[in-house]
Amino acid sequence: MSVVVIEHLARVEGHGGITVELEGDTVANVRFDVFEGARLLEPLIRGKSYDEVAPTLSRICSICSAAHTLTSLKATEDAFDVHVSPQTELLRELMFRGESIESHALHLFLLAAPDYLDYPSAIAMAADKPAAVLLGLRLKKLGNLIMETIGGRAIHPVNAVPGGFGKPPSVDQLIELRSGLTQGMADSDAAIDMMASLPAADFCHSDTVYAALRSPNLDSYYSGDEVMAVSDGNRAIIHAADYKSLTNERSVAHSHAKHSNFRGKPFMVGSLARLTVNPRRLTGRLAVAMKRLKFQLPADNPMDNNKAQALELISDVERALEIIEQLLRAGVKDERPVPVHPKAGTGTAITEAPRGMLIHSYTYDADGRIVSADVITPTALNAASMELHFRGAVEQSAEREEATISKRLQMIARAYDPCISCSVHILRRR
Amino acid sequence: MKPRLVIGLGNPLMGDEGVGWHVASRLAGDPRLPADTETLRGGTDLLRFADRIEGRSRVILVDAMQSAAPPGSVTPFEDCAELEDRQTNAHELSAAQAMRLLRMLMPVRFTLLGVSIGSAAAGDELSPAVEARMPAILDRVLEELGWNSSR
Repeated sequence: MSVVVIEHLARVEGHGGITVELEGDTVANVRFDVFEGARLLEPLIRGKSYDEVAPTLSRICSICSAAHTLTSLKATEDAFDVHVSPQTELLRELMFRGESIESHALHLFLLAAPDYLDYPSAIAMAADKPAAVLLGLRLKKLGNLIMETIGGRAIHPVNAVPGGFGKPPSVDQLIELRSGLTQGMADSDAAIDMMASLPAADFCHSDTVYAALRSPNLDSYYSGDEVMAVSDGNRAIIHAADYKSLTNERSVAHSHAKHSNFRGKPFMVGSLARLTVNPRRLTGRLAVAMKRLKFQLPADNPMDNNKAQALELISDVERALEIIEQLLRAGVKDERPVPVHPKAGTGTAITEAPRGMLIHSYTYDADGRIVSADVITPTALNAASMELHFRGAVEQSAEREEATISKRLQMIARAYDPCISCSVHILRRR
Repeated sequence: MKPRLVIGLGNPLMGDEGVGWHVASRLAGDPRLPADTETLRGGTDLLRFADRIEGRSRVILVDAMQSAAPPGSVTPFEDCAELEDRQTNAHELSAAQAMRLLRMLMPVRFTLLGVSIGSAAAGDELSPAVEARMPAILDRVLEELGWNSSR
């Protein structure tokens, strides 16, 4: 038996990585080992007061700190029957869009593109293709600016609190954001040019089940409390409170993350799932960009998640501009957060973090202290689907050269944009 | 010219992995911190702070490091050639990679102070070994800023 082990994805020795076991040309076993820090952190918040929960859990991840903060607030507000103002809903959606722009720009330009173009890293690519790196950094900066303006900080937003915002942005700040986003419209078109110029990446095909927050509007990363799962034309709706019927987690020996299945099938979350579940925005510039990327729904190639992220750069910038126009038209109200009165109960929130569906569910006691908490990250939800696609990529190809298999599987893993070890990032001496 | 900046990197929910974050927190309240120096508690993504770094000529990074040295030892790096450059991480650049990229883009002198740690496990406190070394770690960061322990 030969074994291909890719430790490339690990940040800490012994955690994270892909193992493929081959018997002759047959795939005997495929494992994606994921170190999922989020689960280990849940005991840390037990007994904490409701106002300490979001600031603590936002630290699960630097890249998704706004998503963790706002999902945490949404779950707490659900538990206490707090209904935030329409302005708060808009500002929260705007933060999600900022984080998505930031995260997708980083992922596509600095992590995925070097893979497609055979550079070992973004630094190596920057020497030959400085314009692509600078374009990525400019979009990343725009995302940061949105998060900093609304959330008070570029990471771990302090301005988002239970019931609303400490201080809403000023009209001047929104006008400044609007001018940055106008440049962002051109930059997101340029991002499509960059993606369209990359060589095709086509390593496996499969009928995939997609799951994403079902938006009450055109599309939303924040509003709504239903998940839609789509598979081969079939649709199913799951309410947030019943999230366990969707995640239906089973522990697997090789991974800290529990594997999720829906009706016995792994499912994929993330940009591709969002566009599949909420396709109504795919008109105008997005329809043109889809043609240029040769992107079609339903997709059967997990690498298309990269194209879906590029499309979302356009829709995120467009949606952010719409929100700002809406706020400026209505006038920004200097409103205080809705008062929060703790009570015993359970609250669950489902949102769309940049890399997919994020679930926070808390049970509180009558004093507003955490009795139990459940945080399920997109990477944990995707783990079973990733294994399926790793296996498919090896089985559907006659290629048995270890370096080639390794490269393909890494590109598939990267297309899922996983948050394998959000929690640790240690440097190592050579 | 903008003030010098000390960025403490790390995740304070993962024990010693968050040592840089703890250093920046404590430094912010340290009366020895020179007036021309700002501190920033960063997370795990240095590139996120490109805007905060732009326009400064001197930035000091403090981050957790796996090495053979005893926990709490501080090793300075002016250049990251000695640090592993492999992409160990699926969705962000490592601090060493981000440092190299930012250097290509802006004229800033970085010093990375790597604090050796034993392990990173979920928890919001430092290990006793690293905690005991915190005064010496803070002295070392302040020395980098021109503070002299014999004064």
